[in-house]
Amino acid sequence: MSREKRAYLIVAVLSPLAVLALWTFVTHQKAVAAIILPPPEAVFASLIDMLQRGYSGVALSTHIGASLTRVSVAFVLGSILGTIVGLIRGRVPLLDAVFLVPSEVIRPIPPLGLIPLFILWFGIGELSKILLIFVSVFLIMMVSAHAGAQSATVDTLRAARSMGANSVQTFRFVILPSALPQIMTGLRVAMGTALTILVASELLGGDRGLGFVILDASSFFRTTYVFAGIIIIGAIGLASDRLIALVERKVVHWRGKQH
Amino acid sequence: MAAQRHLQLVPRSDDAQQPAAVDAPEVTASAPRTRSGRAILKFDRVGFAYGSRTILDNVSFEVEQGEIVSLLGPSGCGKTTILNLIAGFLMPTGGFCLAGGREIVGPGPDRGVVFQSAALFDWMTVAENIAFSLRCAHKGRRERDAIAKEMGALVGLGDRLDAYPYELSGGMRQRVGLARVLAAKPTVMLMDEPFSALDVQTREALQEELLRIQQHTGATIVFITHSIDEAIFLGHRVFLASSLATGTFEEFTVALPQPRDDPENRLHPEFIRLREIIYRRMRNPGAPASRTGAP
Repeated sequence: MSREKRAYLIVAVLSPLAVLALWTFVTHQKAVAAIILPPPEAVFASLIDMLQRGYSGVALSTHIGASLTRVSVAFVLGSILGTIVGLIRGRVPLLDAVFLVPSEVIRPIPPLGLIPLFILWFGIGELSKILLIFVSVFLIMMVSAHAGAQSATVDTLRAARSMGANSVQTFRFVILPSALPQIMTGLRVAMGTALTILVASELLGGDRGLGFVILDASSFFRTTYVFAGIIIIGAIGLASDRLIALVERKVVHWRGKQH
Repeated sequence: MAAQRHLQLVPRSDDAQQPAAVDAPEVTASAPRTRSGRAILKFDRVGFAYGSRTILDNVSFEVEQGEIVSLLGPSGCGKTTILNLIAGFLMPTGGFCLAGGREIVGPGPDRGVVFQSAALFDWMTVAENIAFSLRCAHKGRRERDAIAKEMGALVGLGDRLDAYPYELSGGMRQRVGLARVLAAKPTVMLMDEPFSALDVQTREALQEELLRIQQHTGATIVFITHSIDEAIFLGHRVFLASSLATGTFEEFTVALPQPRDDPENRLHPEFIRLREIIYRRMRNPGAPASRTGAP
């Protein structure tokens, strides 16, 4: 490992430890009430408690599983469909025109604003929750893939055609690989957003899921459980982002190395 | 004496004239180049305009099989437009462009292009880049590997076939660009200032190598450049274009000794002489080509 990489790793580990130390210090000085900001060890104890006894009669793994399922289904479907639509929009002007107004009208609407509508249309079950996350992921991926589809240079496109590539081969070997850097970045942004919307989507009712845990605990002022839930979602976010970043480095190995 | 003349221009006629038939060329590999006398490329009163802006007007010329033609001129004179028309990236707004006796209707692997930017595919290895045209033609892996190896060795990249383009120097990237065009066995190779971004040493080495490869393959090459030296060193003929919007350019035959890839040719009296003539023509298009007498 190079010196710079080692320094990077050390700083990346030290920074959360510093936050933890500050958190511990502030709470032990009794600077804030425990109900506003509980000390780390109390949050840790709640975490252990949830692991052992679950939350509101449901095992923690069931809560995590419910949330992960919602996010995964919505993320996979949303990113595949969003990427396809975005790539098509980026290459076929007339289809781009079809999508332009509807997608730009929907995009600025905050997902929370859609909740009442989704309850009306799809009820308060799984479908509403998944669709809410799906819409956010879809829109992010559509914009990313749209931009990506236009990032192939004129010269590479001409080179491909003058070497005999038909339009399918040009897409497969030039347009798609050129779009990959933006698609991968889109996936990271979309995953972060999906986890954000997850908590909102679990506002739609139901009795399981990490969002439910956080919302339920907060309405009973069980702040340590709120923090425990937040930390689990954060850990999932961190793990999924690192995973996508790892895939990104493998898939888009040329990124930032061109001359 | 310099074989210099103003190109004979055919007056534009409004008659819907069919392009003259040109013998379909046979691709002959190897054999040192001699002018075959067969036009492999023919521009017949070609015009090109963007809206009201005329880029080319009434441009006619022929390129013979196995010949290197240097297209020399300042930026904006229309030389890249000529290359784009041959490549099929642009369509003429007047006249006819023919390759191998057929009218050019679009890009194709018979007319490979080496770009100034190299335009390699960064997501593919050197071997995959070289064999790209074969992949498009649905050739099997074994054939692709064999051609990649052969062409890679020909351009001196035999040991870098598994590298990615971003791991290579600028000169090596242009070698890949050359090899991938050679792999398609094109009728004509089009080179759009491919060496202009390289340092002088690399540039000269690649010029010599291009000539060596051309001798070996008998390739026909249209080479665009704004460097007088490069145009003379590489070309069997040099077309000097000041403004192709008027349809005129001057043609010079380069009578340098064989082997053409000898770097000493850059010091040859014929090289120096042509260089002077062309330099004066470029600096002062209206004046006579030489101060020391008529050309």
